[in-house]
Amino acid sequence: MIQRFTSFLQTREMRKLRSNKAAMIALVAIATYVLLAVAIMCGAITRDACDTVVGANKLPGFFAKGSPEQRYEIATAKILKMTQTALTQDDPAEALKEIKLGQIRISDQPVENIQAIVDAANRIKDELNKSDDLDADPAMLPKLIELEATVAQLHAPMNGWDRTRHNASLLLGTDIQGRSILLRGLYSVKIAIQIGLVTATFSVILGALLGAAAGYFGGWVDHVVVWIYTTFSSIPNLVLLVVIAYAFTGFDLEERLLAIFGVPADSPSSLRGTIGKLFGGLDVKNSLLPVYLAFGATFWIGTCRVIRGETLKLKEMEYIHAARTAGFSSFHILLRHIIPNTAHLILINFSLLLIGAIKSEVILSFLGLGVKGQPSWGIMIRDAGNNGDVVSGFFWEIGTATVLMFVLVLAFNILSDALQDAFDPKHV
Amino acid sequence: MFAFTIRKIIYNIPIYLAVVLLMMALLRIRDPVAGQMGKNATAADFAAKRVELGLNEPLLSQYVSLLGSIFTFDFSREIWLEPGVSVGEKLAESVPVSLALTLPALCLTTVLSIVIAMVSAFNRGRWLDRTLVFFAVLGMSISFLVYIIFGQYLGAFKLQQLVGHPVFSIHGYESGIQNWAFYLLLPVLISVTVAMGYDTRFYRAVMVEETEADYITTARAKGASQMKIMFVHMLRNAMIPIITRIMITLPFLVTGSILLEQFFGIPGMGYTLLTAIQNGDFPVVEVFTAIFAGLFIVSLIATDILYALFDPRVRLQ
Repeated sequence: MIQRFTSFLQTREMRKLRSNKAAMIALVAIATYVLLAVAIMCGAITRDACDTVVGANKLPGFFAKGSPEQRYEIATAKILKMTQTALTQDDPAEALKEIKLGQIRISDQPVENIQAIVDAANRIKDELNKSDDLDADPAMLPKLIELEATVAQLHAPMNGWDRTRHNASLLLGTDIQGRSILLRGLYSVKIAIQIGLVTATFSVILGALLGAAAGYFGGWVDHVVVWIYTTFSSIPNLVLLVVIAYAFTGFDLEERLLAIFGVPADSPSSLRGTIGKLFGGLDVKNSLLPVYLAFGATFWIGTCRVIRGETLKLKEMEYIHAARTAGFSSFHILLRHIIPNTAHLILINFSLLLIGAIKSEVILSFLGLGVKGQPSWGIMIRDAGNNGDVVSGFFWEIGTATVLMFVLVLAFNILSDALQDAFDPKHV
Repeated sequence: MFAFTIRKIIYNIPIYLAVVLLMMALLRIRDPVAGQMGKNATAADFAAKRVELGLNEPLLSQYVSLLGSIFTFDFSREIWLEPGVSVGEKLAESVPVSLALTLPALCLTTVLSIVIAMVSAFNRGRWLDRTLVFFAVLGMSISFLVYIIFGQYLGAFKLQQLVGHPVFSIHGYESGIQNWAFYLLLPVLISVTVAMGYDTRFYRAVMVEETEADYITTARAKGASQMKIMFVHMLRNAMIPIITRIMITLPFLVTGSILLEQFFGIPGMGYTLLTAIQNGDFPVVEVFTAIFAGLFIVSLIATDILYALFDPRVRLQ
């Protein structure tokens, strides 16, 4: 096995591919993304972590200080407000313990001390409020620093590991709800890779099998396959994706399954949960099923067309005639002689489909029809657009999503080109 | 030739019938009535609405009546979201708007990318070619959304701040040729930027194939100028793949660009269609996809016929 692999690496095509430096760098980048996706799937970043508020709203990245007005907002926004609310509760000590802001906890002091800090902070706040525009008032700067220091006294000191995690989650700033942009951007890597891999694998297998069968058998098999793919390609791709995503978004799989199994609607929730778990996870409504259906219906067409054309060429080759004369069955010839000889085309198409799926996922999620209930680059871009981030010059959220996606797609584009150069140089 | 054309048309009829049926079936997976009724609607209200919209009839009879109205060009069916407006009026309103956006974009993209592709192919392997290819790949790797958002930000918002008065519209539309540049030039430019990467690469590959042909060597040997070789000899020979690519994109001119139209608030076909799908407005979606599929199939047949005209071998298959 290992020997076969090493000899495959020594073939002329692979040598050509390996000598392409850009392609090798792209491959390393892709491997990094895939490893990241696997790590996230194993629980390195949970969905909860992406939804947790870790700091003030719209913090800039790299711990930038921002203008005095922004610093004032940030200092008074979250932790001071939360502490104040907690102090008005019936049991302030308990309420203070429940405050969480990412890794930040309220320090373990008597309630009176906390109250004193809050009062001090409010006094400084009142003084700062006298100024109409802090940005134009440099004399107020020491007061502002004092306010920040006073608010910081509320936090319990963090130990080393917690501090590292807290700083990391603030590295690229926060979005409009105070959630970590870095964590959300990285979690979207998993979504993109997952959707890309599932879609590309399914489409390539379906397209290759149908294409090879159509090309090899000809006759009515060919007619049916060509008929199916012309039908699907006669509807604009984005329109078909939107219609399928729309149709299956409101589709309650769990309810259907319950109906099929004859479970009454008022049955205990544990039973419903078990059935939900058996079929595609608990949260069927928020699942990726509509996205997979939409991509699965359209993405196999390109591969099918290419493999059909190649099969038409291959089936007239002498070795296929020889295999037929030797008495091998059609299925044997198809699976052992034809499809392996289209492997290079399958590989190239796989890479191209991955790019297509990742880009389409972002657009569908942007339109509100793709990923739901979890972060995705499309959702990040939409949020940034809806919240006026771009107009107000806050580029951290849209920038993170764009850069992460750009690097991945660029790497795949370079790799696809290199694969094409190495394995299919005559392609136009 | 006549028999060939007839055969092609007959071959494509089942495809057309399937497209219309597929679209109808897909739309009906989700109950459209639920979205249009209030929370307190009773089962009787639902049934009444169904009858009003004609959804109580079996799928097959709805299918036949839809086909009937398409083949007789009768688009007088009322749309569900705006009472009193027919599908035909909606189409007549939105298709010209989409064309005003997509047609200039297609012309500009094609001309620019063919010129760049020729320059690139003629300098194959040199630094100019490599730089152009690099930028094409770079351009292809950025999401369409990012082009639109930053295009709108820089072109409409920042430019307005810089000059002091609006140069391009940020959102909205008015018809009329005098308003074209204000509302549509920026979307056209964004659309051209996005498409350039893909088109340049395709045309470059076509041209590279041609630069290796013998007739180029002959032309050089007889002393033809570089310009003449590029624009007369090479371009004429590369015309078939170019025409094919343009023919295939023609039906898409009508659909407009869903994303661009949505961002800039242009009431073209893409925007109308997206709103119709999201609100479950079946008449618009069904008629529109039926028309698009018709155009698509016609352009497929036309391409086949053009091929057959140029290459007699195709006719025998």
